[in-house]
Amino acid sequence: MTEPKPRREAGLPSARRGVSLRERLRGPWRVVVSERSMTPGIQPGDWLLVDPTVARWPRRGSIVVFREPDSELLAIKRVAAGPGDRVALDAGHLVLGDDEAWLLSDAPLGELAAAGGGAPVDSRRYGPVPVDCLVGRAWFRYGPLRRVGTLAGGR
Amino acid sequence: MFRLSDILAPTTTVHAHCDLPCGVYDPEQARIEAESCYKIIEKMGANSDPTFTTRAIAIKEERAELAKHHLDVLWHDYFKPEHLEKVPNLHEMFWNATKQVSKVKASTDLADARKLLDMIDEIDAAWTATGGPEKTRVAKQTA
Repeated sequence: MTEPKPRREAGLPSARRGVSLRERLRGPWRVVVSERSMTPGIQPGDWLLVDPTVARWPRRGSIVVFREPDSELLAIKRVAAGPGDRVALDAGHLVLGDDEAWLLSDAPLGELAAAGGGAPVDSRRYGPVPVDCLVGRAWFRYGPLRRVGTLAGGR
Repeated sequence: MFRLSDILAPTTTVHAHCDLPCGVYDPEQARIEAESCYKIIEKMGANSDPTFTTRAIAIKEERAELAKHHLDVLWHDYFKPEHLEKVPNLHEMFWNATKQVSKVKASTDLADARKLLDMIDEIDAAWTATGGPEKTRVAKQTA
């Protein structure tokens, strides 16, 4: 009997440890957004549907809900880079681990500054985010009614 | 009778948050809390009354925690990568200082509290050398 072909295990990004599917099914399934770092695409007050069953970082361009490292706040940002990707920094670059993502705000820096905000609070502040912080993928806006629709992946 | 929107409304808030730092930083805040700890240890040495000791310990924990918080804010928010040129041992300085705060929490030895003050003075020198006073404080109005 021939050897079965080796599975691509080495290449698979890591999954959320210790969170069973049953726990993930508890949600959140529906969230409301507060604050403005994801404008103009996502406005404060928007009602979003979230898929909390995701076990791995969704692909680049996806909007994700996650626990912010250190603060434990439930936050929402976009996946700018995923496991194994290379992120350019001011002084060189960083290669993400197989369970890490680089999450960024959508709002342009100028807009954030004009609104009185300081430096963006995303991976530029707290670095790569491990997949254990992942809570779900936001995929659809169901409120307000005039802006109902799927969330665009990638800007 | 539930309205439709009550049933459909989200269950959870997510934060798309930006930051609103005031931009004011001064190691003096940490030093004052550390001085409090120093004074408390001094007073504990002179007074063995159990009620006094209990209260003193509780207050020292509180003030030490505040010292740690102020140090953390300086490290996270004031100091930038470019400051490493002027202060190459920046991270070690803060690591040691915050560990010293933990020591002071548990200690009744004045020398530990003195050491913490000295470490904060080092951080103050780094803050001054990187333009802290001019860039982050609002000057007093002169008559």
